[in-house]
Amino acid sequence: MKKTVDVSIPLGPVHPCWKEPVRLKCETAGERVLRTEVELGYMKKGIERIMRGRPWQEVMFLAERVCGICSVVHNMVFIETMEEISEIAVPPRAAYLRVIVNELDRIASHILANFSYCYTIEHETLAMYLLNTRETVLDNLERLTGSRINTAYMIPGGVRFDLLPEDAAAMLADLAKVEDEMRRYTGIFETGPLIALRSKGIGVMSREEAIRSHTVGPTARASGVEDSDLRLRHPTYRELGFTQITRTEGDNFARVMVRFQEVFQSIDLIRKCVDNLPDGPIRGGGLCKAGSTSYAGEAPRGELTYTITTDDYGRVVDIAIRTPSIMNIEACAHSMIRDAASIADVTSTFISSDPCIACNER
Amino acid sequence: MRSIVYYVREFLRPEWLKKFFFAKTAPLETPSYFKGYPTLTGKECTQCLSCMMICPAPGAIAVLRKKEGWEPEVYPGHCIRCGLCVEACPEGVLSSGRILDVTGRDKTAFASWYHLEVDDNLCMRCGNCCVSCPVNRELDPQLAGTGTSASDEVIMRIEGGRVRILHEEKCTGCKTCELNCPNRAIRVARMVEGVHIEEAEA
Amino acid sequence: MSILQDIKNAVRSRSIHVSYVDVGSCNGCDIEVLACLAPRYDIEQYGIYVHNNPREADVLLVIGSVTPQWVDKLRDIWEKIPDPKVAVAIGNCPISGCVYARRGTLTTPPVENYIPIAAQVPGCPPRPTEILSAILSVAPLIYKDYEEKQQ
Repeated sequence: MKKTVDVSIPLGPVHPCWKEPVRLKCETAGERVLRTEVELGYMKKGIERIMRGRPWQEVMFLAERVCGICSVVHNMVFIETMEEISEIAVPPRAAYLRVIVNELDRIASHILANFSYCYTIEHETLAMYLLNTRETVLDNLERLTGSRINTAYMIPGGVRFDLLPEDAAAMLADLAKVEDEMRRYTGIFETGPLIALRSKGIGVMSREEAIRSHTVGPTARASGVEDSDLRLRHPTYRELGFTQITRTEGDNFARVMVRFQEVFQSIDLIRKCVDNLPDGPIRGGGLCKAGSTSYAGEAPRGELTYTITTDDYGRVVDIAIRTPSIMNIEACAHSMIRDAASIADVTSTFISSDPCIACNER
Repeated sequence: MRSIVYYVREFLRPEWLKKFFFAKTAPLETPSYFKGYPTLTGKECTQCLSCMMICPAPGAIAVLRKKEGWEPEVYPGHCIRCGLCVEACPEGVLSSGRILDVTGRDKTAFASWYHLEVDDNLCMRCGNCCVSCPVNRELDPQLAGTGTSASDEVIMRIEGGRVRILHEEKCTGCKTCELNCPNRAIRVARMVEGVHIEEAEA
Repeated sequence: MSILQDIKNAVRSRSIHVSYVDVGSCNGCDIEVLACLAPRYDIEQYGIYVHNNPREADVLLVIGSVTPQWVDKLRDIWEKIPDPKVAVAIGNCPISGCVYARRGTLTTPPVENYIPIAAQVPGCPPRPTEILSAILSVAPLIYKDYEEKQQ
C-alpha cells in the first residue's frame, strides 16, 4: 500500500512558461492536482491613482501602458469613453482607420496567446512559426502608426496619422501572406495527434459554469456562451457586418481554435475596411467637457470597462478600469483545474485561458 | 521504411539545403518610418515651450540655452517616443520618423491653451504664485516681495484677501505657480485639442 | 595565467545564458525580448540562450519599475545567481520609471538602488534591433578579465 502525501507545490513568480509573475499554489495528492489557488499582486503600480487629476493627453499614455499586449484597445476604449461624455463625433474615415488598427492589434494578440500555449505544450516549432508570422503583422502596424507596441494612435475626435494608398496595398499583400501561413498552422494544430492528446478533453468548463463565473471573451465563447462579443454593439462594426464565433466543447483545444478562427475573421474585417475606406478629414476636433459615464469595449481577452468622471477642462477626476483577465483567471482556478492529472496539465490549462497579469493589477 | 524515405527526401530538397547553409537573418537596421527619439532639424527655436507643455513623460524634454540660442534636448531614459512634441512645435524644430511630412500632408495640428483656477477655501493669500510666475516677473519688475501689484498687465495678483486672475491668456502653462503653492490651491489645466487646419483659414 | 584568462574571455563572450525577471512592467518590453527570440531577429545564432532559470544564468535582464512586492525578492534572486554575473536594464522603467514616476505611484524606481546595473537599453519599448545591438556590443566587454577586475 503506497501512502500518498499531500504537498502544496508553488508554481512561482519566475517560471519559464509565464511572461509575468503570478503564483499558483497547487494542492496535490500523489500525482494528481486537486485544487489551485492564485496569488496576485506582483505588478501593482497604482496606475489609477496616478491618473487622477491629469489631463487626457497624459492619461491616454498611462492607459496604454496598463498592458503592452492589448495596448491599442485600452487607448480606443478610453478615447471612446471621453467622446461619449463630451458628445464628440468622429469622422467616418477616422472610424474605419480605428477599426483597422484595432483588428491588427487583435491579430497580434491572438497569435501571441497561441504562441504561449504551443510553447507550454513544448511544441516549439509551431510556437516559433507563429511568432514569425506575428512579426509581419507588427510591421504593418509600424508602417501605419510609427511604432510596434504602444502606438498612441487615437485622440478624441479622430486619429493622428493617415493611411497612404501604397501603404494600404502593401498591407493587403502582407495580409494575404499571413492568411496563407495561418491556414497552414491551423491545419497543423487541428490534425496533430500529440497536440490532441494534450489539449482535447483537458480543462473542460461547461456552459453553466462559464455563465456562473462570469467569464468573458474567447474563453467564454469556447464554452458556448452566445452574445458575449461587445463588437456586436459597436456602430462601425455593425456597419461592416460582424458575426461572432462560438464552439461548444469548452476544453483547451476549443479555446485555442476560437482564437485561430478570430484571426481569420479579423483579416476579413481589415480587407473590408480598406476596400470601403471613405474620404474626408481624419480629425474632427472637440473639447472635453464635464460628466461621467461607463463604457465597455471588446479587448482580445474579453470585455473591458472604463468608468470615468471628468471636469470641464479635460482633466480626469476619477477613473476605474475593469479588465477581463480577473474573471477568466478566477474561473480558470476554480472550474477548469479540478482533479487534473498532473502539473503539466495545470500549466497548459492556465495558459490556454490567456491570462494577462499586467492588465489585472494595474 | 516509408517514413525514412520520406525524411531523406525532405532533407535533400534543394530549397531546404540552400536555407540550411546560406540563410541570413534580417539585418539589424531600423526602418525609416519608425518613430525614433526626436532629433533637431536646424530650424530656429523660439522658446515657446509648447513641446515641454505637451510632453506626457516627466523629465523627458527640456529647452536649454546654448551659445547661439535656445535648443530642446531630449533625454532617452525618460522619453517614450510618442511624437507629440514633434507635432506641437509651430516652427518644426524637432523631427522623428515620418511625422513632420505626414502632419504637413494631412494639415493636422494640436491647439493648446491654459486655464487657471483657484480654490478659495484653500488659498491663504501668501502670494507665492504671483511672485514666482515668470511672466509676472517680466511684466512688473517690482513684484519681488509681495503679491500685490500696481500694474494691470500681470496675469494675477493679490486683491482683497485672495488671488485674482486678470489675464489668463498670457499664461504659458509652465505650472511654476502650482509647484510653489503650499496648499495646491491654484491649478493649471493644460487643454489640448487635435484639429484639422481648414484650407480657408490657412 | 593570461592565456587562461584569454580563453575564459573568448568562451564567456560567445556563450551567454540569459534569464529575465519582470519586476512590474506593462509587458511591452517583455514581448520585445520574446520577439528577439523569434526567427527574424534570431538571438540564438550569436550563442545567447534565453531561458528563465536564475540558477544557471550569466546575465539577468531586469524589466519594469520596482513594485512594492519585489523590493526584497529582487535582491534574493540576485544573490542566487552564481558568479560571474551581470545585470542589464531593458526599457525606460528600470532607468527612470517611465510614465509611472508621478505623484501617487506605488513604484520606487530606479532599479539601481537595489542591484548593480552594468548596461541600459532605453526606449519604451526598445525595438528588438536596439536590444540586440546593445547586447552584442556589451557582451565582449562585460566579462573581459573578470577575475582581475574582482581583485
